[in-house]
Amino acid sequence: MLKFLRRLAGHVVRGLVMIWIVTTFTFVLVRLMPGDPVETQYETLLSKGMSPDQAKAQVAVTYGFVPHGSVWSQYGHYLWQLLHFDLGKSVRAQGVSVTTEVLSSAKWTIGLVLAGTLLSFLFGVVLGVIAAMRRNSHVGNGLSIVGSLLHGVPQYVMALILVTFLTVKFKLFSTGPVDGLLEPGLNGAYIASIVSHAVLPAVAFALSSFGGYLLSMKSSVVSVLGDDFILASELRGIRPSIIFRYVARNAILPLFTVLALSLGFMVGGAVFIENAFNYPGMGAMLIASIGQRDYSEMSGAFLLITMAVIIANICADMLYTVIDPRVRRGEGA
Amino acid sequence: MSTTVEVPVVKPVVPARRTKFLTNLWKVLRRKPSRMIGAFIVALFVVMGVIGPWLYPDNLPKSADLLAGPSLSHLLGTDFEGADVLAELVIGSRYVLTAAAVAALVTVVVGVAVGLYAGYRRGRPDSALMRITDFVLTIPGFPLLLVLTTVWKFDSALQMGLVLGLTGWGGLARSVRSQTLSLRERGFVEAARGLGLSTPHIVSRELLPNIAPYVAMNLLIGVTTFIYSQVGLFYLGVLPYNSTNWGVMIQLAVNNGVTQTGAGLSYLMAPLVAILLLTLGVVLLVDAMDEVFNPRLRED
Amino acid sequence: MRKPVVAVVTAVGTLATVLAAAGCTDSSSSANGGVFTTIDGNHPINVNAPINPYNQASNTFVGYNTMQLGWAKNSKTDPNAFYPGLAKSWTESPDHLKLTVKLQPKAKWSDGKDVTAEDVKTSAAMSFTQGGGAFAVSPGAAGGLGDIKVVDSKTIEFDQAPGSANNSFLRNILAMNVIPKSVYGPQMPADVWTTIKTATDPKADKAAQTKAQNAITSLGKKLVDFGPKKDVSAGPFVLERVNPGEAVLKKNKYFFNAGEIGPQQVVLKNYSGNEQIWNYLIAGQLDAAPYTSTPTNVVNKILDHKGNETIKGFSPVAASLAFNQKYKPLDNVHVRRALAYVIDRKLTTKIGEAESGTAAQTTTGLVGDAANAWLGADGVNKLNQYPHDAAKAEQELKAAGLTKSGKTWMYKGKPFTLNIQAPTGFSDWIAGSKSISSQLTDFGITSSVKTSADYATYLSEIAEGKYQVGFWLTALGPSTYNAYARLYGPSNGWTQFGAQVKHSPAGKDGNWMGATETANVPGLGTVNPGDLTNQLSQADEAKQKELVAKLAQYSNDQLPAIQIWDYVNVQFANTTRFTNFPKTDSDVLRLSPGVWMQLGYVKKK
Repeated sequence: MLKFLRRLAGHVVRGLVMIWIVTTFTFVLVRLMPGDPVETQYETLLSKGMSPDQAKAQVAVTYGFVPHGSVWSQYGHYLWQLLHFDLGKSVRAQGVSVTTEVLSSAKWTIGLVLAGTLLSFLFGVVLGVIAAMRRNSHVGNGLSIVGSLLHGVPQYVMALILVTFLTVKFKLFSTGPVDGLLEPGLNGAYIASIVSHAVLPAVAFALSSFGGYLLSMKSSVVSVLGDDFILASELRGIRPSIIFRYVARNAILPLFTVLALSLGFMVGGAVFIENAFNYPGMGAMLIASIGQRDYSEMSGAFLLITMAVIIANICADMLYTVIDPRVRRGEGA
Repeated sequence: MSTTVEVPVVKPVVPARRTKFLTNLWKVLRRKPSRMIGAFIVALFVVMGVIGPWLYPDNLPKSADLLAGPSLSHLLGTDFEGADVLAELVIGSRYVLTAAAVAALVTVVVGVAVGLYAGYRRGRPDSALMRITDFVLTIPGFPLLLVLTTVWKFDSALQMGLVLGLTGWGGLARSVRSQTLSLRERGFVEAARGLGLSTPHIVSRELLPNIAPYVAMNLLIGVTTFIYSQVGLFYLGVLPYNSTNWGVMIQLAVNNGVTQTGAGLSYLMAPLVAILLLTLGVVLLVDAMDEVFNPRLRED
Repeated sequence: MRKPVVAVVTAVGTLATVLAAAGCTDSSSSANGGVFTTIDGNHPINVNAPINPYNQASNTFVGYNTMQLGWAKNSKTDPNAFYPGLAKSWTESPDHLKLTVKLQPKAKWSDGKDVTAEDVKTSAAMSFTQGGGAFAVSPGAAGGLGDIKVVDSKTIEFDQAPGSANNSFLRNILAMNVIPKSVYGPQMPADVWTTIKTATDPKADKAAQTKAQNAITSLGKKLVDFGPKKDVSAGPFVLERVNPGEAVLKKNKYFFNAGEIGPQQVVLKNYSGNEQIWNYLIAGQLDAAPYTSTPTNVVNKILDHKGNETIKGFSPVAASLAFNQKYKPLDNVHVRRALAYVIDRKLTTKIGEAESGTAAQTTTGLVGDAANAWLGADGVNKLNQYPHDAAKAEQELKAAGLTKSGKTWMYKGKPFTLNIQAPTGFSDWIAGSKSISSQLTDFGITSSVKTSADYATYLSEIAEGKYQVGFWLTALGPSTYNAYARLYGPSNGWTQFGAQVKHSPAGKDGNWMGATETANVPGLGTVNPGDLTNQLSQADEAKQKELVAKLAQYSNDQLPAIQIWDYVNVQFANTTRFTNFPKTDSDVLRLSPGVWMQLGYVKKK
């Protein structure tokens, strides 16, 4: 137990160091960035047909932020604020704190990716077992190839194909977040509306990620099938159902680590899908903030995305320790 | 790539193996038609990227028929200004493939160097390098690239490849390290050290040839990942561009309402299907290479 | 209908059924309750934003729950033509120095309180804390507000700061967003007006002035983040609810003209990109929407849906190709003229902006309609029309000393190459640039299109002088001063300096176009266009006519930029649920549908 705690403490310290490096990186990056957000806003308003006077007034309303002081004091201030979970104020959404913005988009992404991940985990594991059991047949080979192919195909290919054919050509689904005329809350219609908008992105996500689980599950099952226990029980004629249970139980353990790791990408892992489906999540927010040079939002979003991965890594590692007590230090980590 | 690829066997490597690898590969390829198809697809894309762009003029002729469907004169239809989509696909492949190749090169150099050094030296350098590797692996790659686009313009395919490579070597370094660690304990490396052979000799003659197959396979898969990332960046429109490539095609197709109307569907689908095909080719080829390198997998 | 989904993933199939059904009921409910669905073209919705019209991302929507004193008409020549908003009427002294505004006698906030002159005064204080226009917090700013007097509860007087008699005063005051004193007053210190006086008075003590200005800036930051929990609106609608997808507004029964307002509810949909707006339109979900760089095939698809139609009108904006004359030989006027002859504006417009653009007749610095109104059709026709003419282009290039080697034009022994720059995401500019580049290459000028990562980078890099040629919005009317300041303002070296202009050399103070300060134009002699432009800001109509004629001729002769197309204002409307939309060329077209409703348009079918 003590060992476990020490290991955990080590991970946490390393995680914090990584987060510190990332924050420093974004701080430096922001100060290197070209492009003047004030000017952009002005020109955008002009292109929308606003008169220069109106546009000027409008722009002056938006941006009051000019960083003063030395770089070091800015940096100190930045870190101090971060310690208080204060990521600054958004430039795009004037006066709204970045923390609020980031959390409200993260909410949408997490729902989407969680559904997609669980779906793909389920399919991946089941198909992975089949692929391993039948690895010398056409079914097994086919499954492996389909798995590798889907694992390899980038999300946007899947997302764009689904968008084009299912929402536009056949109008089966709606895109976007949720309908506003419904009373928010735990009523059927509202939830149905949320779900109806999230189904297709979630399916796209699942389709483009179950291949990975399929492949890991297959190789895990194959290695368990080689265990002495299996060989012995096959020789003794133990019922296949018992063998299957043994195999499934032992083979699925490493998959949980993979699952924990992939949950880390929950926050930032759906950039393309959100973009293709106009889904208001973190990825969409990151891209929008980059496009409009809202650097406070951009670094906030990136920081949250990275933190999620770091935390998931720590969890996965600790999970691994719990699942497989042989792992203590070094190799397995 | 095939020049350094060797079979991972326990015995020290004999140079004559090179021809044997090719013979093996050919044998394995021939065993399944799917693998031949895979090799053919990959070869096709390489040829397309290398000589394809020379087949077309700098300024593509424009048809008056905008966003047209496939026809005899335009096998994949036309784009929003009437240019031939097939021609754009071919011309656009060069940037994409060059960047991926450069990225692969950077990954190999950095990944193998870090992995070999860490695995061979062990101790402090190893743990220091592995911390860095962990860091590179942990930072989510694509969001990082997105953020980097704000300061880096990726003007040329070389720069693009460089950045992709520099953010993507973590996985390779780690697997090279664990390979090296296990090879280190094998008899032939011990023997070589016992014979008093120099470290450069051991690394270049004993270790490198044995990890090369893993590097090659990782690389092939890596190349596809690099292609997706850069095409993705262009598709999202966060990067400036001055010539066409697959990502730009996707972006412009979306901007021109192809997903809304279905007109010019082939303009959108051409790069998407190209990526699918290339992935398929790589998957099939890796399947074959896997068998050459891991004889245990052979289904005799 | 749900078969394809089942084929993909069985488990989701059943779920999808429920949802598809749910989706259908939503769209039908919006059809029968007098719900007007649209988008706000100025900004998308943000759930977290405050309800404060001075906040850029705010959940306030001009014309719906945000009111101004007046609504600018879409006039071709008169920037001071307004429809009444919260102001019922106004009178301005001929020298633009004094403006008296009478408020709508029946105007009320959505909490039942009267809209009074005090509210307007609070709004003016708010405007000062945000700066800009007539509310610049700098002493002696041209056209600034000098004094504000509450005459009675419904009458208020504005005086222009002494020292200038700017014709923009009226329009800057009338376009002010009016906010309730009951909500915002308590957020301001009691002495806010004393501070504003100190900050803007040219005779004030310098130290005290700086302190006052800083106080106003920090007050501005605080105020702009503030928002009431519940919307208090003087407009026809009041905000009911916002979620990530939509903002819902319901009719404000206290609105002074509530009887005229048709819809009971307004739904403003959120969007993250143009494609999403197109999707809504194609599905027939929007009752009205502004045009968002929509390609022709998408427009056709939108019009295929029952009831969808377009309303077109005048837009005082043109897209031009602007030169950086630092790059030789672009400093030679013959080269610029040659390019004007080479570029086929009709073809370029067809590729780039077929739907909401018309090829520019020629370059005048004003959009075609405005040029005709100011100069008369004869006046415009007398100018060089720059028809698409390769022979003339060749002649001009030769006059500039370029030579032809084979098919390629050479400048000083090297091929003359031209990189056209456009920002990513501006699909019309990119397509237009590509078309121009092909035309130039065919003519023998090696040309390529480069894009910039985004508009911010584009603007900062164009200002840094990194591009040879780039797209640039010009002819921003209806104010002639604004239109010509795009060509002969800071980006070309001229900055206003008191009542005079100062010219900075190319590469300094944001001068990236780098034209010479004066040029000799046949029939006009030596012309300083920056000086003429500056005079426009104070000129009356007759004087403007004279100045515009000179500037148009100068622009046509010297071509600091080639006008490619004039934008056309396009609005989409769906007539299945509502009727009585504004007609083609109506002067309300550039206002939001909320304002249309106030003016009696948009009735339930």
